[in-house]
Parts: sequence; structure tokens; C-alpha cells
Amino acid sequence: MALIDIFQNTLDGLTAGASYALLGVGFTLIFGVLRRANLSYGPAIMLGAYAATWVSLHTGAGLLVLFLVAVLATVLAGSYVERLCFAPHRRGPAAAAMVASFAIWMQLEELATLLLPRHLYAFPALYEGGALHFGPFSLRVESLLMLLAALAVCFVGWKALYATRFGVAVRAVIDDPRAAELSGISVGAISLRVFALASAIGGLTGFLIVASHEQVTPMLGMWSTLKGMLAMMLGGLGSLPGAVVGGLALGLIEAHSQWYLGPQFRDFIAYFLLFALLAARPPWMNTRSAY
Amino acid sequence: MDEYAIGVLTSIGLLTFVAASAYLLLIAGELSFGQQAFFGVGAYAAGIATAMFGLPLPLAILAAMLLGGLAAALVGLPALRLRGLYFAMATLAAAEMLRILFELFHWQVQVGGEAVGPDGTQGFRGIRWVFERGVEPLGFLGIVWALLAGVVLLFILVERSRLGTTIRALGEDPELAGALGVDVLRLKLGVVAAAGALAALGGALFAHHNTYIEPRNFDIMLGVHTLAYALIGGLGTVFGPLLGVALDLGLLEGTRVFQGYRMIVFGGLVALLLIWRPRGLLDERMVHWLRTRR
Amino acid sequence: MLRVQELVTAYGKIEALKGVSLEVAQGTITCLLGPNGAGKTTLMMTIAGVLKPKLGTVSFLGEKLSGLAPHAIVARGIALVPENRLVFPSMTVLENLRAGAFQRKDDFDADIERLLGRFPRLKERSAQLAGTLSGGEQQMLAVARALMSRPKLLLMDEPSLGLAPLVVEEIFAIIAELHRDGTTIFLVEQNAHMALKVAHRFFLMEQGRVSFSGDPGSLAEDEVIRRAYLGSSRN
Repeated sequence: MALIDIFQNTLDGLTAGASYALLGVGFTLIFGVLRRANLSYGPAIMLGAYAATWVSLHTGAGLLVLFLVAVLATVLAGSYVERLCFAPHRRGPAAAAMVASFAIWMQLEELATLLLPRHLYAFPALYEGGALHFGPFSLRVESLLMLLAALAVCFVGWKALYATRFGVAVRAVIDDPRAAELSGISVGAISLRVFALASAIGGLTGFLIVASHEQVTPMLGMWSTLKGMLAMMLGGLGSLPGAVVGGLALGLIEAHSQWYLGPQFRDFIAYFLLFALLAARPPWMNTRSAY
Repeated sequence: MDEYAIGVLTSIGLLTFVAASAYLLLIAGELSFGQQAFFGVGAYAAGIATAMFGLPLPLAILAAMLLGGLAAALVGLPALRLRGLYFAMATLAAAEMLRILFELFHWQVQVGGEAVGPDGTQGFRGIRWVFERGVEPLGFLGIVWALLAGVVLLFILVERSRLGTTIRALGEDPELAGALGVDVLRLKLGVVAAAGALAALGGALFAHHNTYIEPRNFDIMLGVHTLAYALIGGLGTVFGPLLGVALDLGLLEGTRVFQGYRMIVFGGLVALLLIWRPRGLLDERMVHWLRTRR
Repeated sequence: MLRVQELVTAYGKIEALKGVSLEVAQGTITCLLGPNGAGKTTLMMTIAGVLKPKLGTVSFLGEKLSGLAPHAIVARGIALVPENRLVFPSMTVLENLRAGAFQRKDDFDADIERLLGRFPRLKERSAQLAGTLSGGEQQMLAVARALMSRPKLLLMDEPSLGLAPLVVEEIFAIIAELHRDGTTIFLVEQNAHMALKVAHRFFLMEQGRVSFSGDPGSLAEDEVIRRAYLGSSRN
């Protein structure tokens, strides 16, 4: 029976990993283009989810509306963060931008709790039916949707990066921002757009997460940031495909650790792995600058 | 002085220890999201020493500082060659690992017929050494600030010494420092350990002030706050972190004006301030300017 | 076409340009010579908008440029081929050219064909990552990329740096060709000999100021070279 457990855990790990991969992609987009870590990424997502929850509580609107609200609110929050924390420090020290972003993290978290003060809120379910069963294995439809969403984002993202003019500009800025400016690409304009794009992806992910769990809590902010950062770092800082792999790997590691060792060890092992990788510094982790 | 004011002033003092430990690492050039873990190590160590083994507070504090420094060194050693965001992430990972270890830490002994000791997520209660000896809140405030004054004095002395200049040189340009003969790695390890011991000192006092500690006290939010205090207060002098803590706990929380939206104000303030002053209020230029006025 | 007046650019407190004034006439090849550290690259970077001047002005076709971001300056018809080439290493040759054409709204495929035709070695490697090209190939790619924006004025910072003599000759042949096709060129060069062969006018820069200007006949070549490498001060 152990083989069945392994397979089921792998399946569960991949679906959780899909959400981590999405979070990692959003994080890495911002990191790759702006060369700075955005510690308000999770809180912006949380604000999006909270805005959708608020709308749900006060209007009972359908899932599509809630989805749009979540994405819009996250993009607005993300743009706010970009203007306040990143645009002013573009030429300055990287630490200032990161610190500003976690100051706004504190701000956004409190804003969210002011909007909805309780510790737990119900959220409409993404899917009302039961899970899919094939043989001894089960897969929740919500998880399948998460996997599909991740695949869709990756596919669309890939196309956008390699087949559009915008994508060329984004990759140019990631490669060498000075050369990009000299080629006529406005790093500032690209940064703002990529930030909005990353926020939109975050909003989508947040929506899927709270709709899958049918609840929303204030822990979402810190949780999303941590998972996104872990995924990004596990896959090699600054690499988009790496973030996807890192996210999936994180999901797998967590699922298997939790099965054999329990939830506390699950988190411990994820952090331990990150620390060990950082300490060992294998070549795939050392992409680009320290910030 | 009323009890509320004493409480606020004590909290300011306690948090300044851990903010100063983040500050120390910052001037050595590194961002640490993990000082809260050593704050926790100090808290648990001191609590165990007094509540479980009846040791006097001064000894407990020393034990706490030793353990805090050791823990920091153990964490710092594998991460020593890392810089920037990588180092910051390593400290975050290590701090969370330590916090999870606190959650799994169960050790209790019988003291006067009761089980006393850390009980995982249930926390560690009964750290009453200070209050069992009849020390009043005002008296404890005095202890905290006396020790803080000592730390500040030590910082001032070090900043004026060759060691201080070397540490700042490490922070500005490690390659240059290395080229000038500084053993960069050893100095960095020393700074990491000292910062850990400093945070632990604060933690030891914190445990005895609160009489109850739990792993949740030492989470990432505390780390994020401490870093913000050091950075907004300024990196020019040890009074910077003190200023940062005082601004938040004293001005914003203490005055109770911003009840319920204190973080919105503080967070926004920090972000705005950083645009104007990327290295804090009391940054190196300000301190230099202030010094040359005399 | 390009007029620089009393330009002062500083790095913190250190002034690299102490009041530079010069002109580049339309339709010419103008060359800037001078010893290392004279401020030539600083001048190029200031004109291109990467550095902001403290004082003084840069005007192009009558319009003031100072203070604009580099991409805005590209929009006005100036392109810089920077000193260290700055190609996009993880993008292919073709993608590098596409990046250079970012601001263009028209169909530039014909231009890409034309440029690849002019630089056959790039054509061979059009799908190759720019980071794997040789120094000379990267230099050509940097020039081609700058040309994709159809600049009226092409700035070149030390195009021959680190290249083999044969490649250097190729580069200068291309410079002459570009000029024939109507592009005004302002170039910084260490290789005074090659530069004087193509230039219509040259300026000498030393220690942040222009110390001499004239056409290639006005000063004996060995005097020019001496000043270009060693400066004219009596130390």
C-alpha cells in the first residue's frame, strides 16, 4: 500500500506545488526585472483575496465577479507598492526598496484586517461537487483547476516572453537594464507593467487558493510571500523556469514530509532544504546579483 | 509615572536590544531577518536557568548571551560566504527553523510540586524570578535601561575604535576590506555572534518581564519589525535603532492616537522616509554633521 | 547637429567633465581623442542620458536633451554603441536586433535583412546567443543593434577596443560606409591613427575639458597621437 501513498502524495504535492509555482513565477518576474525582492507580494495577494471576500459578503456576487475583484485589487495594491517602494529607489541602494516593501507589508496586512477583522472568513467554493476518483487515487477538482491554471500561465507567459515585442523588452531588461535603455526600452515603463502582470498572476493564484479552501485568513499574506520566495530560491534566483520547478519541488517535498513526519517537520524540512542549498551554493542557485 | 508609561518604556528598552543587533549586522553590510530567533534563544535560556534551576538573574543573562552567541555562530558559519538577499534568506530560514524547534521543545522539571518548563506550542510560563524578589515594574525598568545604557556605551566605544571602523569598512566594501588585510570571514562571524548575544540579552530580560513566553513571540513579524526599526532610525549611530523603536512603540503605540491603524501609519512612514533618507533618520551623514557642529 | 555647451558631470563630488563644449556637424564623422581618464566615456554617457549633468547643456537639432532618460534620447534619433558593447547575452543575435528596434512602429524585417547582409558573420550566427559571440562579432552586433533604431546620430565609444587589427579595419570600413549612407557619426577612439583616417573633424579631451579641436590636417599626426595618449601638459 505504500506505493499508493507515494503516488497520492506526489499528486497532492504537485497540486500544492502548482500554487507555489505560480507564486514563485510572480516573485521571480519582479525580481528578474527589478532586481529586488518584493516582500509585499503576499500581502498584496491577501488584500486581493480580502477585497473579493468583502464583496462576496456584502453582495453575494458570483465567482467570476469575485475573481475579477481579486485580480484587480491585487494589481492596484501591487502598483501602489511599485510606485512607493520600487520606483523611487531604482537607481539607489537595493536594500532600501526591499525594506520599504516590508514596511508596506505591515501596512497592507493591517489594512486587510481593518477591512475584515475576524480571523476566519468563509469564501464561496470554487467547485461544489466531490473529488475525482480513478482507482485508489483521488484528485480534487479544485486542485486540477490549480494545475491547469499553472499550466496556462506558464504557456501564455512563455509565448508572451518569446513571441511578442513586449516579451523581448522584458527579457532585455532582465538581461541588462542599461543596454535596454540604450536600445530605446524604458526600464521604468517595463518595470511597472511587469509588476502589474506579476500582481495579476498573484491575484489569480490567491483567488484559486481561497476558493479551493473555501476560507480566507490573515495568514495568507505571509504564507504567500514565504512560499513564493522559497519556490524562487529553490529553483535558482531569477530564473522563471526555475521558479516553476522550485514550486513543484517544494510541493512534493512538503507533501512527502508531512506524510511521514507531520506538519511541523514539513515546514522545518522546507526551510532546512533552503538553508542547506544556500550554504552549499550549487551552481544553479547562483544566478545574477545578490539583491 | 503611571504603569502604562512604565510598560511602554520597558518595551522600548527591550526591543532596542534586538533592533541594535539588527543594526550591528547592517553596518557590517548584511540584512538579517533572523535576529528574533536569538531573542528567543535568550528568552528560553534565561527562563530555564531561573525558573527551572533557580539560578540568579545575572547568571541567567550571561548564560543566555553565551547561548545566543553560540547559536548565531552556528547559523552564521555555513552562511558566512553568502551576501545580500541570499544571506537574508538564509537568516530567515534559520530563524524559522529555530522557531519550529521551540514549538517542539518540551522539557519540564518539578519545582515546588509543579511542572515548570517549556511546553512546545503551549509556551513557557512561570518565569517569575524577578517579581518573586519583590522587584517593582519601575525597578525592572531601571534594570533594563541600565543594561541598555551599558550596551550603548559599549557601542560608542567600539564605533570610535579601530574595530568599529573596520566593521563599517566591511559593510561598505568587503572586497576592499579584504584587500587591505582584514580577515573578512572571521570578522563577519564575530559580528554575527555578537549580534546574536545582544539579541539574546534582550530576550532574557523579555522573558522575565513577561513571565510567559511562547514560540509565537519570536516569529518573522518581530524580525521584520526589528529590521525596520534599525533602518528607519538610522545607520549612523546606535541611537538610530533606539530612535526607530521609540518612534513606533513610543510615539505611535504609546500615545494610543493611532489605535487600530498604527501599522498603516508606521509602514507608510517608513516607506516615505526611505525615499528621502535611504539610510534612516540618523544616517552617517547626519551623524557626521551633528558631530562637526560642536 | 549636436551641440554640447559647458557640460559638467560629476560622480558624487568628483567632476569628470569640467565644462566641455563641442559641436558635431551634420553629415560628418567627428572623433573624440584623449588619454585614459580624460572623461570621454563620461561625455558619451551624458549625451546618451545614462548620466545626468550637473551643469551645462546638450542640444540636438535645436532641442535640449539634458535630463532626458536614455530611451527618450533614442526616440529623438541618437543611438549609442557603448564602450563594453553591452549586448544581451542570453538573447539571440536576431532578438538583440529586435530589441534595438523596440521603439519602431513600422515593419523592420527589411532592415534586419539588410543589416544581416552587411554583417555576414552575424547572419551566420543569427540564432546564436549573443553571449557566445567573439569580441569582434559582439561589436558588430552592438553597432547593428544601434542602427536598428535608424538613428540620425550614431555615438560610438571605443569601437576598436580589444579587437584584432583586421577586425578593426572592418569596423572602420563600416563606419565610412554608414557615413556615406547619411548617418552622422561621433566616435571616441583610442586608436588615433585609424580615427584620423576617417574623421572630418576631431576634438582632443584632457582632464575633463576639450583642449584642442580641428580637422585632421591641422596638427601633425604624431603630435596628435602624442597628445591623445599622453596629454599635452608638461608633466
